[in-house]
Amino acid sequence: MTETPRIALKGVTKRFGAETAVDAISLNIAAGEFCVLVGTSGCGKSTTLRMINRLIEHSDGEIHIDGQPIREIDPQRLRRRIGYAIQSTGLFPHWTVARNIALVPGLLKWPRARTLERVEELMTLLGLAPSEFADKYPAQLSGGQAQRVGVARALAADPEILLMDEPFGALDPITRESLQEELRRLQGRIRKTIVFVTHDMDEALKLADRLVVMRAGRIVQQGSPAELLAAPADEFVASLLGGRDRGLKRAALTPVARLMRPVDARLPMEPAVAPDEDLRLALSVMLWHRVETLAVVDGEGRACGSLHLSDLMGGGI
Amino acid sequence: MSAVAIWHRYGRGLAPLLWGAGLVGLLAWLPRAEGFFRWLAPGARVVIYPRDDFTALLLNHLALVGVASGLAILLGVGAALVVTRPWGRDFLPLASQLAAMGQTFPPVAVLALAVPSLGFGALPTVVALVLYGLLPILRNGLAGIEGIDPAVREAARGMGMSPGQVLWRLELPLAAPVMLAGIRTSVTVGIATAAIGSTIGAKTLGDPIIAGIVNGNSAYILQGALLIGVLALTLDSLFEALTPRRR
Ligand SMILES: Nc1ncnc2c1ncn2[C@@H]1O[C@H](COP(=O)(O)OP(=O)(O)OP(=O)(O)O)[C@@H](O)[C@H]1O
Ligand SMILES: [Mg+2]
Repeated sequence: MTETPRIALKGVTKRFGAETAVDAISLNIAAGEFCVLVGTSGCGKSTTLRMINRLIEHSDGEIHIDGQPIREIDPQRLRRRIGYAIQSTGLFPHWTVARNIALVPGLLKWPRARTLERVEELMTLLGLAPSEFADKYPAQLSGGQAQRVGVARALAADPEILLMDEPFGALDPITRESLQEELRRLQGRIRKTIVFVTHDMDEALKLADRLVVMRAGRIVQQGSPAELLAAPADEFVASLLGGRDRGLKRAALTPVARLMRPVDARLPMEPAVAPDEDLRLALSVMLWHRVETLAVVDGEGRACGSLHLSDLMGGGI
Repeated sequence: MSAVAIWHRYGRGLAPLLWGAGLVGLLAWLPRAEGFFRWLAPGARVVIYPRDDFTALLLNHLALVGVASGLAILLGVGAALVVTRPWGRDFLPLASQLAAMGQTFPPVAVLALAVPSLGFGALPTVVALVLYGLLPILRNGLAGIEGIDPAVREAARGMGMSPGQVLWRLELPLAAPVMLAGIRTSVTVGIATAAIGSTIGAKTLGDPIIAGIVNGNSAYILQGALLIGVLALTLDSLFEALTPRRR
């Protein structure tokens, strides 16, 4: 017998009037798993997410959290246990950053000292200096800062589950990438169960443990990013995953360290890549410098290996 | 601190005090200002409105507007809240239409319509004032609540706030400035409209004005008009001071 999934959807359907937005989907998400929902616009991703915290009631099927049907849990109690972050942040404009973050601890009646401590901890964790930002109002923040506050607020009461609906969708590419990077690092530390909706396939591939492809209210395919890239179920999944760009997307999933050979003393230290950088980047560097081998240099500037184009071609990815 | 800085800091709070003092001063001065008004209306036999004490008229006027505005606020804000609840949504279009329509209706018409059913005196005046004052409050109440970013509402619900918490911590504080602006319009218009109540026998600051028009005595008219004007300005500046400043 396997462990109870943290979140289990069993034949879940949502109808709005005559229209079926989500059609009998089944999905198990294990504790600590990062699950990303992708699919074309209107395919039911947000609806699926919002059924999990009962912002939308499912019409049919069952949703269980830790084995318990969510219909049995009071919606407000349920939502206080589940972090929720959305694209437009929805920060309260008349509350300061600190008060916004303290929202759920406040609802849960945490002692004041504990709340203050937690707010400070989260602000630091998300790179918002408390002395600078605690007393600011949302209107005084940049899009990226507001989104950090939104994530901090979702994490405030230390929920087991985090639902994120295109949280970085409205940000510029650079801010978005740095936030993705931070979220991935953060997830490495806090190991929440995350259900994440996005339109950005690179974002999905970078973050997901499990990738769920939806189309017209149904799940077309699910699995790890590598599995899906290796064997897309159909044309739709293949094109969603990037069509003929898939080779590079797959390379982006593999770290240099995986294909690294021992240090080659004859190689110059430039151009070089780091072992934790990905093969897509390595390919780009090779292409740029017109070389077929690269030195692999670690953070301290020491050579730790070499990378050969022939290994990339040899089916290592 | 410079005078300018002091004004910026305390000016908004000071204005209603100054206007209020002006009003009291006016009440004290008017009965003694026979010389001035005789010069203004040389033909008249009596130049200071004799039938009632100005203070009594002012208090009565204020009481009428106070009762009417209180009811209008209760009904207007209440209705705005009811029709924006999930269970009251069905009535939202009706409420919006009413709020939009009301302003095209002149207050005199409301008064004229109230008399046949309610007779003369204070009651029809209050009813007319409530009906007329309700609409700006309802309209702004709806605008204030409907104007809240849906994402903020969604987040509030998604974080597990109860409907009551959403109302008290989110909707009312966010809608307050717009609501207050509606109440301010309603009360200011009410001060002026209440004077018309004198035509149907309510005791208000409109009495000297009506008497002045009937007897061709411009001194009476000026006395009533001065008091109404300064009263309206006092209350308006009070609202100005109460309105939270935008961040
Ligand atoms: N409250 C609602 N009432 C009626 N129909 C709805 C409602 N919410 C969503 N829908 C419909 O359900 C379908 C799925 O919507 P949903 O928001 O889940 O899509 P999505 O995958 O999140 O799309 P996007 O990527 O554009 O955000 C759409 O056809 C939408 O019109
Ligand atoms: Mg969506």
